Amino acid sequence: MNPRSEHRPMPRPCTLVYLVMLLLTLLTWLIGKTGITGLPVALGVLLLALLKGQLVGDWFMGLRGVRGLWRWAVILWLAIPGALISVAFYLSSGA
Amino acid sequence: MNSRQPDRRYPPGDLAIWIFILAELSVFAIFFAAYAFTRMNNVELFNEFQQSLDPTSAMLNTIALITSSYFVVRALAAIREDNREGCESWLWAACAMGGVFLAIKSAEYAHHFGMGINLSTNTFYMFYISLTFFHFMHVILGMVILAAVAVKTRQGAYSADEHTGVETGGSYWHMVDLVWLILFPLVYVMR
Repeated sequence: MNPRSEHRPMPRPCTLVYLVMLLLTLLTWLIGKTGITGLPVALGVLLLALLKGQLVGDWFMGLRGVRGLWRWAVILWLAIPGALISVAFYLSSGA
Repeated sequence: MNSRQPDRRYPPGDLAIWIFILAELSVFAIFFAAYAFTRMNNVELFNEFQQSLDPTSAMLNTIALITSSYFVVRALAAIREDNREGCESWLWAACAMGGVFLAIKSAEYAHHFGMGINLSTNTFYMFYISLTFFHFMHVILGMVILAAVAVKTRQGAYSADEHTGVETGGSYWHMVDLVWLILFPLVYVMR
């Protein structure tokens, strides 16, 4: 253990983010196991995935501390496919 | 993790890897959209054969990749504190979790291929095998990169002042994790 890390407040923010992502993953799995279907459920599951992706971009990839165009790299990557997938599932649901 | 760093203009690591990451993410985005729009005309087929997949294996694989990404974050935090041994240990731990992912996914492939399922079985399996195998290859490449960074860390190539290599390798690995986070619900859960 490096002396500079001995008095660090625990848990680290990254540890909290990691635990939140584990919980969201288990929630997604539970929904899959129960076999619940339908547009609201599918879009809810997608929303959980997009939230996890945003956490990875911000806290793990370090984009939270970046300004300018690069700050938007992961946000846009999540938003564009997320929107396309949502539209496709909406249209196929017959809603 | 950059929570304690001041605002910066560019993301962590070599800018070239970020160009590569954006290119890779774009390819996967096209794959995801293609899956969703192809499913529009084959909803019953996709829903039926999606149920042949094991969401528990996919959940365990998601946990493996999230955990490995967390370990990479810890490796970066360690080297920023000039803790080279810690950094190397976290990187090898991340590689090990990548190995767990490959083992689980290989077992899934063995199960499906053993049942005679292949790319031409139907449209759903074509997407399932293509998407997941493309990602599988990225996991292997990511593990090679992490292992190379771990070896260089042992050789003393990185320090608290200079650790661009750790950031570069870590950014690629997080991209591999990021892609799976969307792939998991899209292919295994959403219907």
